[in-house]
Amino acid sequence: MSPLQRWLWPLFLAPSLAFGQGAVVKTDEVRAELVADAPEGIAPGKPLSLGLLIRHAPHWHTYWKNPGDSGLPTTLEWTLPAGIQAGPIDWPMPKRLPIGPLVNYGYDGAVLLPVTVAVAPDFRGTALDVRLRADWLVCKEVCIPQSGSFRLAIPAGSSTAAHADAFAQARAALPQPASSATVQASVEGQVLALQIDGLPADLHGKALDYFAADAGVIDHAGPIEQHWQGDRLALRVPLSAQRSESPARLQAVLALPGEARGVQLGFAVQGWPPTAGARSGAPQATAAPTTGIAPMPGTAAGPAPSPVPLLLSLAFAFIGGLLLNLMPCVFPVLALKLVGFARPGADRRQVVAQGLAYTVGVVLSFVALAGLLLALRAAGDQLGWGFQLQSPVFVAGLSILFALIGLNLLGVFEVGRLLPSGLASLRARHPVVDHGLTGVLAVAVASPCTAPFMGAALGAALTQPAPQALSVFAALGAGMAAPYLAASLWPGFGRWLPRPGRWMATFRTAMAFPMFATVVWLLWVLGQQVGIDGAAALLGLILAVAFAAWVFSATRGVGLAASAFRVGAAAVVGAAALGTWPALHAQVGEPVAAASATRSDGSWQAWSPDSLVRARAAGRPVFVDFTAAWCVTCQFNKRTTLGDAEVLAAFRDRDVVLMRADWTRRDAAITEALRRLGRSGVPVYALYAPGEAEPRLLSEILSVAEIRAALTGWPSRAPTSKLAATPPPPT
Amino acid sequence: MHAAILTSALAAGLLTAFGAAAQAVVGQPAPTFAAVDTSGKTVSLADYKGKHVVLEWVNPGCPFVQKHYNSGNMPATQKSATGQGVAWLSVSSTAKDAGDYRPPNDLAAWMRSKDGVPTATVMDTDGRIGRAYGARTTPHMYVIDPAGKLVYAGAIDSKPTSNAADIKTATNYVNQTIGEVLAGKPVSQPTTRAYGCSIKYPDAA
Repeated sequence: MSPLQRWLWPLFLAPSLAFGQGAVVKTDEVRAELVADAPEGIAPGKPLSLGLLIRHAPHWHTYWKNPGDSGLPTTLEWTLPAGIQAGPIDWPMPKRLPIGPLVNYGYDGAVLLPVTVAVAPDFRGTALDVRLRADWLVCKEVCIPQSGSFRLAIPAGSSTAAHADAFAQARAALPQPASSATVQASVEGQVLALQIDGLPADLHGKALDYFAADAGVIDHAGPIEQHWQGDRLALRVPLSAQRSESPARLQAVLALPGEARGVQLGFAVQGWPPTAGARSGAPQATAAPTTGIAPMPGTAAGPAPSPVPLLLSLAFAFIGGLLLNLMPCVFPVLALKLVGFARPGADRRQVVAQGLAYTVGVVLSFVALAGLLLALRAAGDQLGWGFQLQSPVFVAGLSILFALIGLNLLGVFEVGRLLPSGLASLRARHPVVDHGLTGVLAVAVASPCTAPFMGAALGAALTQPAPQALSVFAALGAGMAAPYLAASLWPGFGRWLPRPGRWMATFRTAMAFPMFATVVWLLWVLGQQVGIDGAAALLGLILAVAFAAWVFSATRGVGLAASAFRVGAAAVVGAAALGTWPALHAQVGEPVAAASATRSDGSWQAWSPDSLVRARAAGRPVFVDFTAAWCVTCQFNKRTTLGDAEVLAAFRDRDVVLMRADWTRRDAAITEALRRLGRSGVPVYALYAPGEAEPRLLSEILSVAEIRAALTGWPSRAPTSKLAATPPPPT
Repeated sequence: MHAAILTSALAAGLLTAFGAAAQAVVGQPAPTFAAVDTSGKTVSLADYKGKHVVLEWVNPGCPFVQKHYNSGNMPATQKSATGQGVAWLSVSSTAKDAGDYRPPNDLAAWMRSKDGVPTATVMDTDGRIGRAYGARTTPHMYVIDPAGKLVYAGAIDSKPTSNAADIKTATNYVNQTIGEVLAGKPVSQPTTRAYGCSIKYPDAA
């Protein structure tokens, strides 16, 4: 700036001030001013910026370009002479503004929203007349939409720099494009997974805020998982359950919390699953909101469970319940039932009453469990049938219970000694209560298996209105209890049993061992869920409970010594329980879960919606084993058919990718994938043939012959070069 | 068996099965609810089984709500929907300690003064219904089909402004959705971006 210009500068300020009346709009909530920065006057090629400077009253805010869960971005509508072109707002770094369960992105205090203005080569004016209509939404607890008309005349021949500092600050607060950063983005179910390399070194290892620049895509208030692996940042951003947009490119800003500088990222996102109903209006597509399982053409709609007439559903459910008794799941309960039948001195009426009590227990438990599941799903939980065994605390409780039952059968303690005398006599007077509770137990432990033919029906039932759904589950329970009820109603049943005698006591003792076997199985399940520490802690707790049960049973009378023993035993149990509790809530990290999925055979890989899509995109057939540690049928199949050398060889021969989706712990992605297959429980075996949109579902009791038949006609891969390239799998 | 132990084991398992509530998803069963309306009657979503149901989040203090009520747009949409046999539930999830909370009588009087004709105006002062649906703004609109499935979630119309003059040129998504579902057609825009004021939920989760 020459000395002359500097001297003239106040003169030019005068007209600017006169117009300045029109450059400010004041409300109770904001003071908004149209400001300009033209340090070298206005001429082609010289820098010119305009902007709206908003000063908010305390606690009031306006919004960023993506306002977040509510709000509206500020808009600027320019009226400029020909040859003058205003660009878009260069949005400075916003702040996260949480409001209850919602999150907004915006500004408080003072913010300048600058725009860069281009001046055409033929501009010849002596002043620039700028008119602006601005709309903004200003909110504290309440929101007020406001707008202002602004007018400013800027001298062309002199410097306008009164707000140079404000412009400089605003430009410094612009998120900087991270030129060296590369982003890999994929949609995995309800999550946008990002792998970001090449971020500035000063961000490495730090927790960052993520600002989505596109509205209507992410769940702004949802927790964002982030992990630094060296200088690579992995982010898992939750998508909105009501996502309305599927942009091919997304933008986002990463920033250190509370800092005004951020890094701007732009990246392509492929494989958006259709937003609900967005695709060609197929009604089924509305049932497929945002899972990443099937972005392939033709599979988008997903197999919507076709409505089955209610009576037919009930009939199938009854048959399914009958067949449930043949599943390996029911084995522990079968042993208990045998003990029940082998009670001495049961007359016919008693036997019938017991059979009815067991049936009532089973049916009511099925209905209660299904009702709870429906309620939890209505509340938005991603749960499926068998969800109770996904809870480590529940598994621990069951294993303690089975341990106690086993000890009771061994005669370590008698129940009458443990319970308050009132309750004990109630039990003595009402032995049918026992049988009802056996029914409850049967459902708790055995129901997670979906019986043959029932997988589809259960999946469909859970999408029905509650009365229909619950009646299907009631029919399933009735079917499960039917053989026992029939046996107890059959008049010849009593004669069919051996005469009461010493063998009953021996048999009772023998039946303790299936109970302990069940404990072993449950401990293994728990070990899968929370690791070996949790399993060991639970063993300690079982030991303490067993000790206490024995002490309570063995100490007779009310003497001081007896009381001391009892208090001591109770203290041991309490201490053990306190020690076990945190271990039951340990999170097994993904590496362990992956290891359990791949442990049995190196040729299995962990399932994810993404890996499935990738394998299928590569044109390879895929077999998915939906399994869980607590599902005995699953484990049975895994160790027999799916471990069969012939089956594995057949899979290998046809280049089938083997995936295992482990549902031992709660997993929303797997629940969603099951739902899309029309199922809500495991086991499910899905075989994706190359070129076919829908997978073929194999039966729950998987046989070698069935797999062989399913693969018949598929081309074997050429045994020449590929064999050389692939190391022989372990045998 | 051992009743006490069994019961506590089951109870423990069931308690831990409760997780964080997520949001309603279009194409899936809509969260069911029961709450009292402004006249003190209990209103349950199940009461309207077999009908289409519109849910409208409302707060008279919000300028975007005022845009659609003062212009007559929302009452007209309500009239059109209820005239076709659709149930319309206006829901207030505004917390009692929020500045623009209206007690039931006030809210009912305001609704009458605007010629609003919802089937019922539901008081959700603990925010449970709003959270279950993931309602973020007033207005925020949802349409549920007769089988209880959510078929629409989003804005009242396509112009996210507070300017009533924009209503004329905007697409009314609720009218569009109702027209399509009653004609047996698929919903062309099942999710849109709701716009408006933040819902003032109570602090307790």
